[in-house]
Amino acid sequence: MSSLQAIQQQMLQAVLAEKALPPHIVRGDRIADTNSRLAVYRHGYRFRLRDALKGEFTGLQCMVGQRFETLLDRYIDAHPSEHYNIRWYGAGLAAFLDYARPWRDKPQLTEMARLDWAISTAFDAADESSMGVAELSVVPPDAWADLRLSLQKNLQVLTCMHNTDAFRRAADRDAKRPRLQRFAHPHQVMVWRQAMTVHYRPLDGDEWQVLGAAMRGEPFASLCERLAEHHDESAATLRMVALLKRWLEAGLICGWTFDPSLSGSAM
Amino acid sequence: MAITSTTCSGSLPYLGYGLGLRVEHYEALLANPGKVEWLEVVSENYMVSGGLPLVWLDRFRERFPLVMHGVSLSIGSTDPLDDDYLARLAALAQRIEPAWVSDHLCWTGVQGVNLHDLMPLPYTEEALDHVVSRVKRVQDTLKRRILLENVSSYVSFADSQLSEWDFLAAVAERADCLILLDVNNVHVSAMNHGFSPLDYLRGIPASRVQQFHLAGYEQGEQLIIDTHDAPVSNAVWDLYLEAVRRFGRVSTMIERDDNFPPLAELMAELEHARTLAEPLLQDAA
Repeated sequence: MSSLQAIQQQMLQAVLAEKALPPHIVRGDRIADTNSRLAVYRHGYRFRLRDALKGEFTGLQCMVGQRFETLLDRYIDAHPSEHYNIRWYGAGLAAFLDYARPWRDKPQLTEMARLDWAISTAFDAADESSMGVAELSVVPPDAWADLRLSLQKNLQVLTCMHNTDAFRRAADRDAKRPRLQRFAHPHQVMVWRQAMTVHYRPLDGDEWQVLGAAMRGEPFASLCERLAEHHDESAATLRMVALLKRWLEAGLICGWTFDPSLSGSAM
Repeated sequence: MAITSTTCSGSLPYLGYGLGLRVEHYEALLANPGKVEWLEVVSENYMVSGGLPLVWLDRFRERFPLVMHGVSLSIGSTDPLDDDYLARLAALAQRIEPAWVSDHLCWTGVQGVNLHDLMPLPYTEEALDHVVSRVKRVQDTLKRRILLENVSSYVSFADSQLSEWDFLAAVAERADCLILLDVNNVHVSAMNHGFSPLDYLRGIPASRVQQFHLAGYEQGEQLIIDTHDAPVSNAVWDLYLEAVRRFGRVSTMIERDDNFPPLAELMAELEHARTLAEPLLQDAA
């Protein structure tokens, strides 16, 4: 090992693990002793990581309250940063909360961290153009049954057993902390970006069935069949139209394909 | 925006007086750019796939000459250079065509761990060889000379054989790169290590200095902490005058990283820099 490499590894341990450096590595003097000098780097490391996490996990901070700082410190202790961009340091926080005591006994925290992180990653995901209602009018009537929607790649759907989105909403609006509710059945929250704005909202049960099918590439006829499980025939048609309009207006649809033999067209 | 200013330091332009671009001032700066002549952007903030950061960046690019300033190159690390990082840096440089690209003479991590700090190097021949070879590789990848900035430091190493300024000068000469001289960092390190900031300035080759940073610090109990979250101190303004006398006309900017005041306050600091420097420069001319 080179001398430079040895010095860097010893400094790394001195900052991360707060280990004493071997003597004569760093100079202490009458201005400050070695420990005071190293303390600047130790403090800076923790401060910067905490600061980065606080910016990304505002819903989690709202949910956890006063123990949030402790939670962040335990994550920092367990997970040295590996990415060159500090903004990505939070990528492992949800997984950490899923296995680390005492937080693993509160699954709402993992849910919350996942939602915060989904919102964070949607913010600077790749740009995609979205389609409007007018563009859908080019689809010939015969092609609708086989139509397959292409949805924004930044769209994420999270399964929640708690009202986690309410905590994030409270954080975004600087509102009072809501009461935690546990659902009897799983709920879905979708996160997506429309133009430059990140949105999130809970999905209705029938909407999730249809949206999930669309994300898997099922044709439009199959989406309608799924709605028919929830509604009678005429209501299902109206609901499909309403959902399609809602998704288009939300910028969720970036294209579609259908059997080219019917019109030779795709978007 | 096309750069039409005069040139110095071997073909890079002189940009005048600028600011570090920060989210907190986006709207105010577009609404009233005042006498801000150029902007320095933090490279990593825009090395993203899409979204709002790049939209804002494009807006500023239409209005101002830009330079890129990174914090994660880790030029002194004994870990291999991060090829993914370099590719993204090169792609951003290709996108916005900055007047120049800079980072710091430091290491930010080792063994795959990132400390997100500007860690000082031991100033040894071994470290010098290591840094010079890596700067050359980065410059080959980016197809341009880069600027390296002196960092504020709180430790110095018993192994060091050179002064910091001799080390920086040697890196610049041997790797044929340029220098971003942070006047505040010179002051902070001088106070923390007990050397003369004027010796530092005298040790830096004038032909290599392409940019100045001016910033503020916090006085700790024993050490001065480089927080970049306060107005430029009187001691740093005095040192800036010495730097202008020694290095002449160098693109100068105020760098504020936290505790952001209204934009007007930073503009006033920038105007103060101009008011201090221009009479000296005109006398010299």
